[in-house]
Amino acid sequence: MSKSKGTVWKPHKTNEARLAWSLVTPTALIVFGLVIFPAIFNIWVSFHNVGLHNLNDVFHAPFVRFENYKSVFQDFSFKFQSWDNWGAAVTTVVYAFSATTLSTLLGLIAALLLNRPFRGQGVARAIFLFPYVAPMVSVAFVWRWVLDPKPSGVLNDILLGLNLIDTSQAYLATRGLSLLMVILLDAWRYFPFAMLMILSRLQAVDSMLYEAAKVDGANPIQQFSAITLPELRYVLGATFLLRLMWTFNKFDDIFLYTGGGFGTKVLSVLTYEFSFRLYDFGRGAATSVIQLLILVIFLVAYVSLVMKNVGEE
Amino acid sequence: MKKNKKNLIGHLSDWLTWKRFIFSVVMLFFITGILFPFYWMVSSSFKTRAEIGGREPVYIPKSLQLGAYRELFDPSHPSYQNFGRNILNTLKVSLPTSIIAVILAILGAYAIARLKFRGKNLLLNGILLVYLFPGVLLVIPLFAMLSQIGDKLGFAVQDNLVVLILTYLSQTLPVALYMLTNYFRTIPDEIEQAALIDGCTRLEVIYRVTLPLSIPAIISVGIYTFMIAWNEFLYAFIFLNDRMMFTMPIKINTIYNDPSPRPNVVMAASTIMTIPIIILFLALEKYLSAGLTAGGVKG
Repeated sequence: MSKSKGTVWKPHKTNEARLAWSLVTPTALIVFGLVIFPAIFNIWVSFHNVGLHNLNDVFHAPFVRFENYKSVFQDFSFKFQSWDNWGAAVTTVVYAFSATTLSTLLGLIAALLLNRPFRGQGVARAIFLFPYVAPMVSVAFVWRWVLDPKPSGVLNDILLGLNLIDTSQAYLATRGLSLLMVILLDAWRYFPFAMLMILSRLQAVDSMLYEAAKVDGANPIQQFSAITLPELRYVLGATFLLRLMWTFNKFDDIFLYTGGGFGTKVLSVLTYEFSFRLYDFGRGAATSVIQLLILVIFLVAYVSLVMKNVGEE
Repeated sequence: MKKNKKNLIGHLSDWLTWKRFIFSVVMLFFITGILFPFYWMVSSSFKTRAEIGGREPVYIPKSLQLGAYRELFDPSHPSYQNFGRNILNTLKVSLPTSIIAVILAILGAYAIARLKFRGKNLLLNGILLVYLFPGVLLVIPLFAMLSQIGDKLGFAVQDNLVVLILTYLSQTLPVALYMLTNYFRTIPDEIEQAALIDGCTRLEVIYRVTLPLSIPAIISVGIYTFMIAWNEFLYAFIFLNDRMMFTMPIKINTIYNDPSPRPNVVMAASTIMTIPIIILFLALEKYLSAGLTAGGVKG
């Protein structure tokens, strides 16, 4: 590694590149070996008949063309059946969009709340992040316990006491209500992410803008719509996009809340069921490829429609 | 007395403008909504089975009962869970994950932020693809691939904590790399150039100049990867079968799905799993918040 002073100041280009590659290689190997390659391999699996019986000899699995895709599209838990039974594809889209919108909105309110100085601001800020940092498993089982369907469940007890409901509800085991609950719980857990993103952008807004607006006699609502919102457009767009991607791909949350039952079966859970309940890995792989395709179509549309406009201004 | 009271109300009405009133109400809504589940988790873990299974919820346990914790840790308890073992397994996975991720991410991020080499953009974009892939998409091919390799090299894929560490690395490294690259770019190049002129090699520059200046970012990356590995559910759920190898999330799921429901034990285990994370987070909150957004905000 020792070099003479002369060469160190302007290192030879290939030398630098060689060092760079040796620094990057371990990371690149892990990511390409355990993410990029498996992802490509997954497409291969989706065109083959792979099950537990030939898992140890996958490369000789029989090629089945689009059979796996066909059986997914025909599966009653995938396709839209009726307004009572949406199927996983529609459920995933509804779930991802509503949960993302709600958590971004809550995050915006929380960020505006924490952006003004008050006593205990630091403590409040830390507390606001609790839902996001707490382990998913703990969060899921606490909520299941709070939402216990028996009359002795806390939420049932409170709502019955306030006369808001007549009988105790099975929040996570009722078609329709369950999806709503899962969306609300998702907003509860992930709003801190949006809050952090928005807060750090808010703190970069030039306070002179507000001073000037006040001089011009703008009320708080006018200030918000004329200054804050335009300043936040980019960060709101980026936050929405990131959260949408992550929510779209979520598995843990729904699996732990409802196990995918009662109208909350999303594509991730369906993939899991095909692969690890039925051990039909080919069909599972096909489901996850469909899921990825839907997401990519949304992303391309979103970036070319929404983000482009933001960039132009 | 009366005068005093009037003053207090007077003060209060002076202080309480509409703006402050709305602010306080919304703040109260958020704080209770956030903290109540956590209160419910901790308080339920100290309840007796009678309090848990009663006709009405017990809002404040009469006394701190340690029965649930005894079931988790006391070998003489009839349904002893050996939870200490699960804590140990979780640590065995999450500590190496975060240490290796930090080291590899420092090296890789430095190369990307500072050095010129061909294929850099391809590499960065390839790594960002990870954001796109659902976890379940990767589980199937990983499972098939690793059992194939395992067969050849003679290691088991199931119940192998090293396999788990590797998959966690693949999930956390991209974000770690991205966070650190962004941070390294904020360090002025001139400082490093000065060290290079003084005769340091690149590796010495990383060690002597870049690292000391990046402590906050490195801490946040370390904690971030630690938390991901500590909380991870899906991969552990699929790759672990043996009760003795379970990490905490899988064990808690198992206790929850036990035929005889014992919410107090589930809550006790959840409390144990949550508290270290919350403490870690509170102690290092300053670094973490900056780190959490560093991956996303560009202006």
